[in-house]
Amino acid sequence: MDFFERQEKCRRNTKLLEVYFALAVIGVIASVYLAALFVAHHYGIRHGRHDYSNYESSLSLWDPQLFLWVAMPTLALILGGTFYKIQQLAGGGSVVAEMLGGRLILPNTADPDEHRLRNVVEEMAIASGTPVPQIFVIDEQRGINAFAAGHSTSDMAVCVTRGALKLLTRDELQGVIGHEFSHILNGDMRLNLRLMGLVFGILCLTLFGRILLQTRGRKNPLPLAGLVLILIGSIGVFFAKLIKSAVNRQREFLADASAVQFTRNPAGLAGALKKIGSCGSRIDDSGAEDASHLFFANGLSESLLGLFSTHPPLDERIRALDPGFDGRFTPVDFSLLDDRGAKSQSPAVIAPGRGGTPSRLGDLIGGAIVATAMRGPSPPGQFAAHAGTVTPQHLDYAADLRSKLPPVLTDAAREPMGAIALIFAMLISPDEAMRKTQLDQLQQRLDPGMFQELSRLLSATAALDSRARLPLAVLAVPALRRLSPGQYAQFEDDLTFIIESDQQVELFEFMLQKLVTRQLDPHFQQPRRPVVQYYVLKPLLPDCVVLLSALACAGSGEPAAIRSAFQQGAAQLGIDGLSALERHACGLDQVEAALERINQGAPLLKKQVLNACGVTVAADGVIQEYEAELLRAIADALDCPIPPFLGV
Amino acid sequence: MMLVPILLVGILVLAVAVVFFVVAGYNKLVALRNRFKNAFAQIDVQLKRRYDLIPNLVETAKGYIKHERETLEAVIAARNAASTANVKAAQNPGDATAMKELAGAEGALSGSLGRLFAVAEAYPDLKANQEMMRLMEELTSTENKIAFARQAYNDSVMIYNTERETFPTNLIANTFNFAAAEMFTIDKPEQKEAPKVSF
Repeated sequence: MDFFERQEKCRRNTKLLEVYFALAVIGVIASVYLAALFVAHHYGIRHGRHDYSNYESSLSLWDPQLFLWVAMPTLALILGGTFYKIQQLAGGGSVVAEMLGGRLILPNTADPDEHRLRNVVEEMAIASGTPVPQIFVIDEQRGINAFAAGHSTSDMAVCVTRGALKLLTRDELQGVIGHEFSHILNGDMRLNLRLMGLVFGILCLTLFGRILLQTRGRKNPLPLAGLVLILIGSIGVFFAKLIKSAVNRQREFLADASAVQFTRNPAGLAGALKKIGSCGSRIDDSGAEDASHLFFANGLSESLLGLFSTHPPLDERIRALDPGFDGRFTPVDFSLLDDRGAKSQSPAVIAPGRGGTPSRLGDLIGGAIVATAMRGPSPPGQFAAHAGTVTPQHLDYAADLRSKLPPVLTDAAREPMGAIALIFAMLISPDEAMRKTQLDQLQQRLDPGMFQELSRLLSATAALDSRARLPLAVLAVPALRRLSPGQYAQFEDDLTFIIESDQQVELFEFMLQKLVTRQLDPHFQQPRRPVVQYYVLKPLLPDCVVLLSALACAGSGEPAAIRSAFQQGAAQLGIDGLSALERHACGLDQVEAALERINQGAPLLKKQVLNACGVTVAADGVIQEYEAELLRAIADALDCPIPPFLGV
Repeated sequence: MMLVPILLVGILVLAVAVVFFVVAGYNKLVALRNRFKNAFAQIDVQLKRRYDLIPNLVETAKGYIKHERETLEAVIAARNAASTANVKAAQNPGDATAMKELAGAEGALSGSLGRLFAVAEAYPDLKANQEMMRLMEELTSTENKIAFARQAYNDSVMIYNTERETFPTNLIANTFNFAAAEMFTIDKPEQKEAPKVSF
């Protein structure tokens, strides 16, 4: 099952979940009503309002007044709670992290443990082609645990506990982070958040019941009603938990398996699980209940018969990774938890365990531009099959790439101001005369400090290999999130200015801009949850034509070659009778609009479109590095993570 | 009569709505407060880098400017004072007293650095020293970054304060003691600019 099929499956599961919850809500309301009926009747009898002689006949099941009185507020409470929670969670993954006490880690942090975590996360992101998520640490939790949350790859947050930060080795940390990324790549983040929202509504009932329980007064029916609400609420919660747990346990096994695929180092993940065995993974927080299914390991205390456990039993998970497990957990040095991190200067490079593999890149990233014609994915028509996959080679490549990027640029990428300057520097024209004009204009436009920073980075970016540009932009995004809204607006303006100022906007420059803004917009505006609007290709055909034409034009200047490339791509879509557009009709504005609409297509449609793009780009026989990166940028615009292409 | 229960139900529903509205407002204030606190963390990182650079700078200069001991010592003293003020402010970003103290200490530090550079003008050997040039370059770069981070922080503080003062969120803010946040502004106009390095 590939990435798109998994996404499709998750979408269907989400719908199913909503049906289950609707049923649960109906069940809860019915229960509340019946209980209220019983209570009212009971009180009625106690106070002699009912005639004993017709006791049986007065017990009618339908009492409209009571129904209105009782059922409507209940419904209002549940729906209100659900809508409220869903609205709150719409703020993105960082909302969940902060709710659970997470502290944001800055990209340019000085703490060596946070450094190490950041490096591990960045490597994962580069290796899988996803944006770099925001990273949080929960300082108060000493157990070892982690989670990832978010609606789409661009509002993702990854959170670890202090225990995980301090007590795990780099390999173990990588295993845990790999596990979290597999959730991201499996596309079930959205499902999880929807689960959270729905469960909260039913939990509200219990909360309200608790409040009622605390009211005072003789002959006061409220505490009794409160008790009843708590009981009824628990029934709802029971079913909710059952569903949650069933869904979750399957996923956790799957995610562990994928994490192993990513690292080819089962020892790392197994090691982390073994340490959890002795250290625990409990999260003491009231918010942990409704987020329990998000965590890496069980965050709540072991419950009855393991029925409600959100995760498979620990020793089963360990045995799946390490069949020789002897049942003994690894003891953990708790004194490390209090280490303020001031001493050890852990090197920010690849751990020794990984360094033995000779890099298959062969050549320098930061050095001279090497125009190797890569075969790319074979065959190009299967290009989209790479989405959502990560192999150990990709991880090696990512670690190697990161270590070979010029330090002056990676350091700049981690500061807000430097990140802006870096993006500008990468977009400035390589042509000497044009460059000079642009720089003169920029000097007028930018603050002196910013311009100074830009000038400092220019020589390093001029010599940059084309495979390094996207990764650097991706690394710069976390620092760019730290801009204030005003600064971000200014940044967007300046970015548009640079792109347009050289009068000959290249598709790649445009895609780089799009990648950066797409990954930043959810942070500065409310993240939009992409709703699928198109299930068949036909309404999207004009947009596909625009996209394929633009790609064909970008690949060659000759009309014949352009037509041929376009036709091959169109053939991949299985549609006849399409013809390429003229260059002016597939300009950047049209491409932008086309991508917006295609992004609203079902996952399987996107797969088709991406495969067609791959074929068009490869039509001249080879995929140049520049073209490979262009394809990856387009895939990012469609929220499909594609790992870097490894050379032949 | 159906009217009374319906009215009561209506009131109950309204009450529920109000509760959720209040909670939403509270959460928004918390989120905005986190934003400016994170923005201060960015200033903190840059300030610490500056404080780390200065002792090196003074050591390098000492070799050449043997007779200007007071100027050098003044720089170190100002740097230490600013570092202390920074630690206090980092524990409570946005607190009026802490921020004003930090702004004052930073202003004093920039002032003493300015005086050091004015003195250094008269020592061409010092100007030509490689290490000195490197340190100066880093210092300027760091000070640019501080200014940039300060702008981001002040923007976030302004957004938070506005939200805090607007009806109806101001009711929630007052009930739950969301204090107004203080911006980070350097008072003296001549110290707003990074000390010019003109060799």
